[in-house]
Amino acid sequence: MDESTLIRHAANGDATAWEPLVLAHQEAVFRLSYLLLGDPDDAEDIAQETFLRAWNHLKRFDTTRPLRPWLLSIASNLASNRRRSAGRYLSALTRAFRNEPVSSASIEERSTRHMEASHLWKAVQTLSVPDQQIVYLRYFLDLSVAETAEVLKIAEGTVKSRLSRALDRLRGIIQQDFPVLAEPRDGSEGNDA
Amino acid sequence: MNERNKPQGGHRDVLQQELFEKQLHSLAQELNYPRTPNIAGSVMTGLRRAAAPRFISRRLAWSLTIILILFSSLMFIPPARAAIIEFIQIGVVRIFHAEPTPSAPPDQDIPSTKVQVTATSIPTSQPLIPILENLAGEMTLEGAQKAVNYPILLPSYPPALGQPDRIFVQEAEGKMTILVWIDPQKPDKVLMSLHLIPPGSWAIDKFDPRLVEETSVNGQRAIWAVGPYPLRLRNNDLQFTRLIDGHVLIWTDGDLTYRLETGLTLKEALKVAESLQPIKP
Repeated sequence: MDESTLIRHAANGDATAWEPLVLAHQEAVFRLSYLLLGDPDDAEDIAQETFLRAWNHLKRFDTTRPLRPWLLSIASNLASNRRRSAGRYLSALTRAFRNEPVSSASIEERSTRHMEASHLWKAVQTLSVPDQQIVYLRYFLDLSVAETAEVLKIAEGTVKSRLSRALDRLRGIIQQDFPVLAEPRDGSEGNDA
Repeated sequence: MNERNKPQGGHRDVLQQELFEKQLHSLAQELNYPRTPNIAGSVMTGLRRAAAPRFISRRLAWSLTIILILFSSLMFIPPARAAIIEFIQIGVVRIFHAEPTPSAPPDQDIPSTKVQVTATSIPTSQPLIPILENLAGEMTLEGAQKAVNYPILLPSYPPALGQPDRIFVQEAEGKMTILVWIDPQKPDKVLMSLHLIPPGSWAIDKFDPRLVEETSVNGQRAIWAVGPYPLRLRNNDLQFTRLIDGHVLIWTDGDLTYRLETGLTLKEALKVAESLQPIKP
């Protein structure tokens, strides 16, 4: 059964049709929530809430459209609401990152791509929430420009211009606060970061 | 993220952007995520329990527990016992009532709805400028405007007021701006302060002003609280002390809550509130 058929069944109240859809998209929803909130328990809560809300509003969903952008849009909104209540904590984290730039020495000791990716995430966390959302969707979750536009409910051209500005800001942050990510490394040609 | 092999020529910026994007995408894919929990199982269980109340998130459960503990603790404090029963909400500021007792309100010269609240002993005034020295987040007005995502409005009344002497931006579940004007006649005293509080700081509480009355600023509901009282944020560890021994006018405009501390009368304070204008370049 394809996705649109499953959605139609689920919209008619067939919960067994909803389960494979949840399984298919739970990782993306959980990961986006985790990226936005930084806490796995919160991310799990948001992911659960996302699928329950989607279930409750399935009748209004256009089954000709892909499900994932819609789910990510719900998760993003829920996570933003959750962030507001935890805003001060996150701000404190942001300040901490800004005040303590990553030292080259500590990274060299643990010079793995995973650690660098973790520092990249910290750098992205210092961006505004809208900038974070668009960077996470496009680069961390690997959505296309069209899918990103669908999640954020904006035009594709707007996605491109917002991404360009967000990347400019991110590059500045990396150069200022995460110099280790901007340093040349051996064997980092081509796709390497 | 390295800047090696920077391309030269007319398309350098575009190529650099493409390279940066490529590197960003590549590195982002390396991020370690926690194992995805069994969301489907939880969701399906939740759906099967359709007749039962919806499950409560961990955070919500903790929040409810903490609220219950706070509520129970407050019940042991006599003034707070009545305060729990009733409060006034204006924007993000919540003013708790204590047991009503009659007291004579000063300087009321416009019609308004008055609510009596318990008069309590007022803490002895302390030097105010040292308090300012302890406030975090001081910056220039220009820096403050860049730091917050809402327009900082300044009073144009009284005409000679000018720009604030001290500006602070503090994290209080949203970036709160505090503008402070120093009394030119008494450089160790604060003449007036204006807090611009964004949404989210829902639990700023005041206890026991001598009088609280409803009024309006630009046609919007506002609260005038007479008499000095401690101000604090309940939802985090910030502890705010009043900056002046005056009164407070609180009103909202859109998402923002404004809190004006002043020794002026209500009539004058309203003029100040209604004179707010964007920063002039």
